[in-house]
Amino acid sequence: MSHSDGEPTPFERVAERETSRTDYYREILDRNVVAPLRILISDTRGLFGIGSILFFVFLGTVGVWLTNQPESTQYILLPPFQDAAHPLGTGRYGNDVLLQLIHSTPFMLQMIAGGAVYNITMAVIVGTFAGYKGGRIDEFLMTIVDMIIAVPALPLVIVLAVIFEPTNPIVVGIVITLPSWAGLSRALRSEVLSVRTHSYIEASRTMGLPTASILRHEIIPNLMPYIMINFVNAARRVIFASVGLYFLGVLPTSGIMNWGVIMNTAYETGSLYTLDTAHWIILPMIMVVWLSYGLIMFGQAADKVYNPRLRARHATTMTQETARTEEAES
Amino acid sequence: MKERLHDKSNAQQTQDPIYQVRNVSVAFDMDRGTSRVLDDIDLDIERGEILGVVGESGSGKSMFADSLLNAVVSPGQLGGEVIYNTEDGQSVDVTELTDEELRKFRWQEASMVFQGAQDSFNPTRKIRTHFVETLDAHDADIEDGMDRARELLSDLYLEPDQVLNSYPHELSGGMKQRTLIALSMLLDPEVIVMDEPTAALDLLMQQSIVRLIREIKGKYDVTIIFITHDLPLLAELADRLAVMYAFEFVEIGLTDGILEEPSHPYTRALLNSTPNIFAPVEDMTAIEGSAPDPVNVPTGCSYHPRCPMATDACVESDPGYYETNANHGVKCHYWEDVDNAIPLQVTADETRQVDVPAYGPVAMGTDRTPVLTLDDAEVHFESSQGLFAEPDAVRAVDGISLDIYENEVIALIGESGCGKTTLGKTAIGLQRPTGGSVSFRGQDIWDAKDGHGDVEIPHEAIRQSLQIIHQDPGSAINPNRTVRHTLELPLKHYNDELDMGDRQARILGMLETVGMTPPEDYADRYPHQLSGGEKQRVTLIRALLMEPDLILADEAISALDVSLRVEMMDLMLDLQEIFDTAFLFISHDFSNARYITEKSGGRIGVMYLGEIVEIGTVDEIINNPKHPYTKSLVWATPDLDETGENEDVPLRKIDIPDARNPPSGCRFHTRCPEARETCARKKPVLVGDGGNTHEVSCFRDVPNHEYWDSPELMNDEPSDETPTEK
Amino acid sequence: MNWYIRRTLQALLTVYGVITFTFVLIRIMPGGPMESMRAQLIQQHQGSLTTEDMERINRIVETRVNIDPDQPLYTQYVDYVSSVLTGDLGQSTWHQAPVMDLLIERLPWTIFLMGSSITLSFALGITLGAIMAYKEGTILDVGLSSYSTFMTSVPYYVVAVLLVYFLGYQWDYFPIQGRMAPQTTPGLNYPFLAGVAYHLVLPVISVVITGMGGRALAMRGNSVRVMGDDFIRVARLRGLKPRTIAIQYVGRNALLPMYTNLMLAVGFMFGGAIILEEIFGYRGLGQLMYSSIGNRDLPLMMGCFLLITMTVVIALFIADLTYGKLDPRVQSGERHESF
Ligand code: SF4
Ligand code: SF4
Repeated sequence: MSHSDGEPTPFERVAERETSRTDYYREILDRNVVAPLRILISDTRGLFGIGSILFFVFLGTVGVWLTNQPESTQYILLPPFQDAAHPLGTGRYGNDVLLQLIHSTPFMLQMIAGGAVYNITMAVIVGTFAGYKGGRIDEFLMTIVDMIIAVPALPLVIVLAVIFEPTNPIVVGIVITLPSWAGLSRALRSEVLSVRTHSYIEASRTMGLPTASILRHEIIPNLMPYIMINFVNAARRVIFASVGLYFLGVLPTSGIMNWGVIMNTAYETGSLYTLDTAHWIILPMIMVVWLSYGLIMFGQAADKVYNPRLRARHATTMTQETARTEEAES
Repeated sequence: MKERLHDKSNAQQTQDPIYQVRNVSVAFDMDRGTSRVLDDIDLDIERGEILGVVGESGSGKSMFADSLLNAVVSPGQLGGEVIYNTEDGQSVDVTELTDEELRKFRWQEASMVFQGAQDSFNPTRKIRTHFVETLDAHDADIEDGMDRARELLSDLYLEPDQVLNSYPHELSGGMKQRTLIALSMLLDPEVIVMDEPTAALDLLMQQSIVRLIREIKGKYDVTIIFITHDLPLLAELADRLAVMYAFEFVEIGLTDGILEEPSHPYTRALLNSTPNIFAPVEDMTAIEGSAPDPVNVPTGCSYHPRCPMATDACVESDPGYYETNANHGVKCHYWEDVDNAIPLQVTADETRQVDVPAYGPVAMGTDRTPVLTLDDAEVHFESSQGLFAEPDAVRAVDGISLDIYENEVIALIGESGCGKTTLGKTAIGLQRPTGGSVSFRGQDIWDAKDGHGDVEIPHEAIRQSLQIIHQDPGSAINPNRTVRHTLELPLKHYNDELDMGDRQARILGMLETVGMTPPEDYADRYPHQLSGGEKQRVTLIRALLMEPDLILADEAISALDVSLRVEMMDLMLDLQEIFDTAFLFISHDFSNARYITEKSGGRIGVMYLGEIVEIGTVDEIINNPKHPYTKSLVWATPDLDETGENEDVPLRKIDIPDARNPPSGCRFHTRCPEARETCARKKPVLVGDGGNTHEVSCFRDVPNHEYWDSPELMNDEPSDETPTEK
Repeated sequence: MNWYIRRTLQALLTVYGVITFTFVLIRIMPGGPMESMRAQLIQQHQGSLTTEDMERINRIVETRVNIDPDQPLYTQYVDYVSSVLTGDLGQSTWHQAPVMDLLIERLPWTIFLMGSSITLSFALGITLGAIMAYKEGTILDVGLSSYSTFMTSVPYYVVAVLLVYFLGYQWDYFPIQGRMAPQTTPGLNYPFLAGVAYHLVLPVISVVITGMGGRALAMRGNSVRVMGDDFIRVARLRGLKPRTIAIQYVGRNALLPMYTNLMLAVGFMFGGAIILEEIFGYRGLGQLMYSSIGNRDLPLMMGCFLLITMTVVIALFIADLTYGKLDPRVQSGERHESF
């Protein structure tokens, strides 16, 4: 680490040796992908969350590809765990419940992704912009947001669903959570308000960085734990609302297969009167709860990924010296 | 009470001790071992004295405070005996009290004032409720108690009824702190433990409160334990001093004794590193090294890693208390040699000559073009921007003109809320002025930004030339980024001709320049892996990488430990020479402002309620202050040598008036001790002495002004209503 | 004062916005509800259409949705808004009765159901959260926290279905539908009130046990945070009674941020009434709205939507005003939102 004395100021300094690009990228990869993953699975909640999500993704892709569409058979209302051919039993039309569940997953996943991505995008854009800009812009946007918050979501969604009758899963996801971003963006905004007071934001402004870049590089990364939790919550909201509405048959069910639709069929065919059909209506409910619980666990663990202290500890490219200091200070 | 052998020191032999602290330790069990944040302390506290406890942050001084009230927060474990002697001769061990006894003991016998007065009150309850419920909880008579409360509050220069009817958020920091002191004395306790009670306040407020504490102590006859990191503050307040280092007391003695003949190397280093308004600046030095970790206290004398006199004996054996005289004990093997080994550098010398460096404004004349010019700049904030709010403008900056020259260092001082930060931000183009103009080398900054008129210097270039270093190093760097990443940003943005390797080299070079070696290691750290001083250096580098012409240092060193401040200021000045920048240095602390301006031959400007009331060379301002406000700031600046003097507060009112409704005429007239009737009506203007060396805005500086014939203003006159004449 | 005026205006603006929104939906949307209603009527009309027939059809449309297709757009708009504001929500196509009358009969029941659910779930959640916070780190806390977390991932209708299924159909402990016992007369008499309460049990339970978890966790977090605040420490040192500290210091300050939570919950839960009431066959607004969907009864559906929204807006407005009383910092314009 010796430096020649001849250099006039450190300003003119240029590279003495080429830093290897591969090293550089390896480091980036290590910090941004490997370390977070390691943090996630080092936590039971994270492990469960990631595991559940991967499981459903597997069902929705490979699972669908491996299995046939559920068809009507003569085995009507088989109870679960009796027949190896129909491990989870069959419904009133003799269709296999397991297959129904598997073939519902792609629709569910697309819908969840559509709704959650839409919500978080709207919320992040409106929330961070209003919070960062402040003043009149903020006041204007927040007045609108407050109005939207005051409108109960479900009735509004029902009205829209009845009028537009959406069937595409992504569109359904969006329609179902159409106004929900408002609450989220308000929450994000107040987070931004507190992040905004940090002096490093002002320092970036002083350096003349453009607003978009400050939002992207300085503000949003600090909100990531919060955004992740809210992303997960938005996803859960999609699941809850959609399954509820499909269950009641408010959303058009014909030609669509998802957990809510299964419950709806079971319900409509009088599932509540007899114990024989219990599995038919309860199994999709279990899927709903499982996925939603997995998402919560994932969200809670994701909080840690964005903690620089943990990230520093899990990155291998960190030198020993820094790691020790870190240890001493925690 | 058992008589313990005083193998410690006679300094502890007191006549009538109210507290006898014996072998007290506080330990926390942690993953990596036991953390001893208080290590076997012995100390007697005399009834009726003011004991000053001084130590750096993390030295265990707050734990000492907590242990006196047996209020150590779990999982901390308090060991040893804390004997409390009542006036009628009974002794109790505070550590053995039952919960109910403890509840009674606290506040009735011993109460406590914290640093965080801001958060010491329940935000949802009125101040009055706090008083009443305290009386109620101790079965005291409410009416008598509230009478006492009123008396206490007015003794502390507060309006009792107004304060009692307020919610906590409606009071200023200084008011809350004084209210908390009043609350602590409500039940007439024998002892008050004050843990950094003034740390968050302005110097003027600090000094005023210290003064009031002395008065109150005389009037109500209490024992006070005053804990602080600020040695000069104690010089004028405490009867005895106890210096804390690494979780134990290393030196105890009478205040005069300690200040005149400090016998512990640490105490000496502390004194030498304290910025002081009248001591020669060249003599201030920082303490090397850092305070020990409570899990890993060095063996033997815990100061040995930092002590210049350390020998093998120091590493091997822990020194006991040596008595230097009957009233002075010290934990150092070699205290007798300390005089020669570590000379005391701070000596009062008010008539010394200052060597003004060659590039100061005085030396270079005033005919140059300034880097930055503020012309009658105004910033008025509307306090609530609601649709239906009455416009309530806070005049943060009200008509200020100022030139900043190449390589100049200007320090702006004033109490919080005086608008100095807003002025600074206006100067570097972060805050748009609501009136007047700000120009960079003759180019109006905001015209450049908006593209009005002929833009000679593009906004981009101006933006790059004006940079900032913030007060709180903790929030000045994005916690989610490594140092390297943080520093890359400005380089990427302004120097696209640099490739990645060059950027790295430059960053590493800068890190090395500011003494963060090995730079490769520091570059990869996240902010939480840096100390406060190191973070501050990173922000300094970040600003310098932009190659600016002017840097605003907004209280840039206030958050650092005293011993680090000098070092940081030296670094800033060194870098200033290398990089050719001017500094606008904002501070509430006269000593720091003086240090940095004197070393660079700069100027000091004094701000009050949005206006500059006095500005001039450092020499003029320090040695020949003309404005009564400047004088009061000088008065408030702690000064180690004038101990024991007990002048009155040179102000008629302690609290700053509301900036939304500034007083008429001279804004200072409500507090000015020299105010006369004219001051309430007419507004003085800033007049100079011809050169650029001293300007002041006060009628007293104008001979034959009608001021001299007008009657003095009576105290508490509601002069706010008097109409203004210009 | 200022702040109250702002809040009031905001509430009015919201109401106005929602009315406009329904107008847009009904009228402007191409292929939207009014178009299809007209088309339907025209289809039903056999034979060739005369101008008079068209007139008649337009009249029908107008009585139903308060919009006269003949008028210019802005007149339609003004007429629509003023009739809604005067309480005329049109005519139900299915029930052949004024929408307003139908709604008014149902409204109290829904307010009653949702009001008790919200109150109970907040009251229980807050208590539970406070207990968890005071027992922080104990087995009780860990157990309750995990339970609460799990319960937040169960939708209320899942619990509702399971409850009706087992306690209603299978074991017959509770009524499977309805809102009051048969053969009782509404009024302050015991059989009626007992019947109402009996019918309320299952729906309320399903909302409370799923909704409570989230509140409890939020309250726990707030309380733990507040307990670490300096003023709590000072209060202890001042020798205040633990009870005072628990209620006036920790409780009150931990509750304030729950307000935001409540605000979002009100809208969410009232919306949820649609699913909940349908599952329990509880004849309230939600169930009315559900039935209007099946019957393609557009005016009724819009009316339900408007009324549910108004109820929520008013509830939020009241909540907001009381919040101002609880937190002295609000009126001074600082810290309006505390999350
Ligand atoms: S005992 Fe030794 S190391 Fe400790 S202060 Fe004295 S000389 Fe320094
Ligand atoms: S003008 Fe008057 S009030 Fe102002 S500082 Fe001078 S003497 Fe004091």
